[in-house]
Amino acid sequence: MNNSVLKGAGYVLVHVPGMVTHHGTTQTTERIVNPDSDYLKQLPEHMRSYEDCVAYPPNQTYIGNLSIEDLGEVPEPWYDKKIEGADRFGPFGEIMPEDEFVLLMQICDAFDLVHLDKSFVQQVRPKLEAHPLITETMLSLIKEGHDEADILDQESHKAALPIYIDGRMVGYVKQAHDLDVNLSAHVIFENLASKASSVVTVLHLLNNSGIDPAAVEYVIDCSEEACGDMNQRGGGNFAKATAEIAGLSGATGSDTRGFCAAPAHAVVEASALVTSGAFKNVVVVGGGSTAKLGMNGKDHIKKGLPLLEDCLGCFAALISENDGASPEINLDILGRHTVGTGSSPQAVIESLVTRPLASAGLTITDVDKYSPEMQNPDITKPAGAGDVPEANYKMIAALGVKLGQIERSDLPQFVKDHGLKGFAPTQGHIPSGVPYLGFARESLMEGRTKNAMIIGKGSLFLGRMTNQFDGISFFLQANTKKDAADVAAAPAVIRDVPVIGVSVPDSELGEEAVRAAVEQANRSGYRATLIEGAHCLEQMDEWIQSGKIDAAVAAHYAFPIGVSTVGRIQTPALGKELFIATTTGTSATDRAEALVRNAIAGIVAAKSCGIENPSVGIANIEGGRQCERMLNALSENGYPIRFAGSARSDGGLLMRGNDLLQATADVMVMDSLTGNLMMKVLSAFTTGGGVETIGYGYGPGIGEGYSKKILIVSRASGTPVIANAIAYASQIVEGNLSGIARSEYEKAHKAGLSGLIEAARQKDRASDGERPAVAAPPKEVCTEEIHGVEVMDLEEAVEVLWAAGVYAESGMGCTGPVVMINEARSEQAHAVLREKGYIS
Amino acid sequence: MDLENQKRVKDIAEQFGPENVVVVLGAAEGEAAGLAAETVTAGDPTYAGPLAGVSLGLLVYHICEPEMKEEVDADIYDEQVSMMEMVLDVDEIISEMTAIREQYTKY
Repeated sequence: MNNSVLKGAGYVLVHVPGMVTHHGTTQTTERIVNPDSDYLKQLPEHMRSYEDCVAYPPNQTYIGNLSIEDLGEVPEPWYDKKIEGADRFGPFGEIMPEDEFVLLMQICDAFDLVHLDKSFVQQVRPKLEAHPLITETMLSLIKEGHDEADILDQESHKAALPIYIDGRMVGYVKQAHDLDVNLSAHVIFENLASKASSVVTVLHLLNNSGIDPAAVEYVIDCSEEACGDMNQRGGGNFAKATAEIAGLSGATGSDTRGFCAAPAHAVVEASALVTSGAFKNVVVVGGGSTAKLGMNGKDHIKKGLPLLEDCLGCFAALISENDGASPEINLDILGRHTVGTGSSPQAVIESLVTRPLASAGLTITDVDKYSPEMQNPDITKPAGAGDVPEANYKMIAALGVKLGQIERSDLPQFVKDHGLKGFAPTQGHIPSGVPYLGFARESLMEGRTKNAMIIGKGSLFLGRMTNQFDGISFFLQANTKKDAADVAAAPAVIRDVPVIGVSVPDSELGEEAVRAAVEQANRSGYRATLIEGAHCLEQMDEWIQSGKIDAAVAAHYAFPIGVSTVGRIQTPALGKELFIATTTGTSATDRAEALVRNAIAGIVAAKSCGIENPSVGIANIEGGRQCERMLNALSENGYPIRFAGSARSDGGLLMRGNDLLQATADVMVMDSLTGNLMMKVLSAFTTGGGVETIGYGYGPGIGEGYSKKILIVSRASGTPVIANAIAYASQIVEGNLSGIARSEYEKAHKAGLSGLIEAARQKDRASDGERPAVAAPPKEVCTEEIHGVEVMDLEEAVEVLWAAGVYAESGMGCTGPVVMINEARSEQAHAVLREKGYIS
Repeated sequence: MDLENQKRVKDIAEQFGPENVVVVLGAAEGEAAGLAAETVTAGDPTYAGPLAGVSLGLLVYHICEPEMKEEVDADIYDEQVSMMEMVLDVDEIISEMTAIREQYTKY
């Protein structure tokens, strides 16, 4: 079996003292039962500051700054110890403060339910802007907020739930329905906190694993919340909601629930999805739970401790196709607590540990490290639950003694050698096996350990549907392909030389010219493989998808709109290198937008070929001036572009034919038809036009969110051009074209790309004499769907409503296309659409 | 001891008569076993549940105590409990349980 791998992990804590006080169930229950209790009065003085929470040793371990071994060196208890110079950010994630998190909840709120004080928004916005992973798109979702008077006027929003920070009410979460308890303010609050914490954790996961967000195909949410309305309580889908905000544009997903065992179930499901070939990259994410904040607070306060359960805990993991380096999930060794297992501790440990190991001929000592429930003992011991991981290790060892696998006298040593110190917050599902994934990945990749067993357990009886207990375990092992001799057989990513597939089925120069190019490239130290046969293009696509090849050189490829190719050529006589952006494909249907996007694509290509700060020139063609203005605006707004000046005596940014021949700029921007013409002229002029012998071909398709690496040559491309195209392909793979593209587009958007494009489109539309652009009326919450509008007329119908003063959005409902409007506008909207003939 | 369990113990004691009931505990350590034992004998020490101020004085044992072990079929005990017996600090549990029984059990 080709095992899937653990490609990355992300861990986030969110320090939320305000939510502990106002939303943790221990506290909310106490407020109902015993509003004047000493416990509630003592709470504030037992709250930790953000700095203390960051410096708390187990928290530093959770985000990867302090190894589990080093945590073990810190004498217990830990609540009175601090890590000197503790950092908010760590290799796995971060510890986020409450104010930033509340604003993040507002970003994650799609239905205008989080109302925040304007001054609070103004105060916190710069902090999120400075956050290294919060994207421009996310920042654009921040709403301005409301006046303080409105926030404090509790009469007008009695059913809402207030949000407090440092004792100040900074906003509230509204109920999403007046009668439906599943949409009450309380439920919405919990769900938005779970979603927002998942989002920031996924951002860290993406960053840690270096994966292109667009390459994530599926997300499994395994948190402990349920979203839905009164007709479908727990209908879902947190996974997709999270994916949307985190920018996983190519993903769908679903929710998996199983109490504390859910994360382990989810990883097994993700691994199965990848191993089966259904998806290549699956994200598993578990968000934080506000209900469990301060769950053991009474015990902590009684014993004079700080309130240690003051953080939301979240984790995320990326399960991907085997990359020949990351740790593998071996699905041959799977433990399951079945319906027939029974609930005695012995039966549980047997089903989850010894039986699956025995099926692979292993005993308990063959596993280097076990990760069962990883609760922080600092939290559980004062609450009377003991040291949970240690108890689990003792149980595993004791069962080993019973099975004759170890001596009874070896029991303490087994616990020491195969166990780990607990460090996870008591957030139910979060401590359950998965907190070790990040450290396990490092340890297995560095060869410090060879395997690990992750054990998730859950108490299903809490849901009152069964008295059953539950659990599932899986086995992580060091990558088995890492040392395999046949490197090419191992799918992509980490390898010495990228593998390039070549598919030019109908070359005008014959098969031989293509074969010679592949051989020439291989002799030069590149690794190319010829893809032949009637279905070679399909084959190529399949191999790219599966990672068997890292990039491809092809004579044809249907790129989507938004993607165009950047050619690369040596200029005649001088032999200077020049990128022509672009040469095939369509970056955008609007000319000015296309030119700007071509410029960015050109910069991406040049940078991935090692030109650190390429100079950019715009060909003197129609739309050139407008492109120049837009690029200038981007440059001034913080997307620095190094413009080349024309070599002609009158200078200027626009490049003439002479500049092209002199390669005055590294990147020459033009529309793709012109670019195509130039490529053909410059690469074939020495042969009188018959064969292209100069340059690297038409180059890789580049576009926002596009990650496949496919480079175009023509049917007239000769052997040297195809061989150079293989070299070009190899360079962009090693030069991390996808990563550079992501960061360039991100920077351009931060500098206002979207706004510039929209302005250009409006202008073009106006000058084309098309129907005038209608401005949208102020945005309203759209919860009502109007069915029956033809899909081709959908956008027009939306604009017709706008013109009538009704805010509307287009969307896709369960049964077909829909126009979405505010419930209160229903009658008016229907009347307008009926009158204009959009609906009957 | 959680409130639901306290209620069940109280109901059973009323239904069958306290002299006819033995409570068997499975707590994972001495202190927790002692607290549960105290609850079903002297009353809920946290004064939160139905047994607050109710001294049932029931006979109470932990499953790992020798008196209980003798009552159970050896094979079943081996299958269900022997592993945990190895893990738990049985001596501490016995001393906690004995102390509570001596002090509060009426039967």
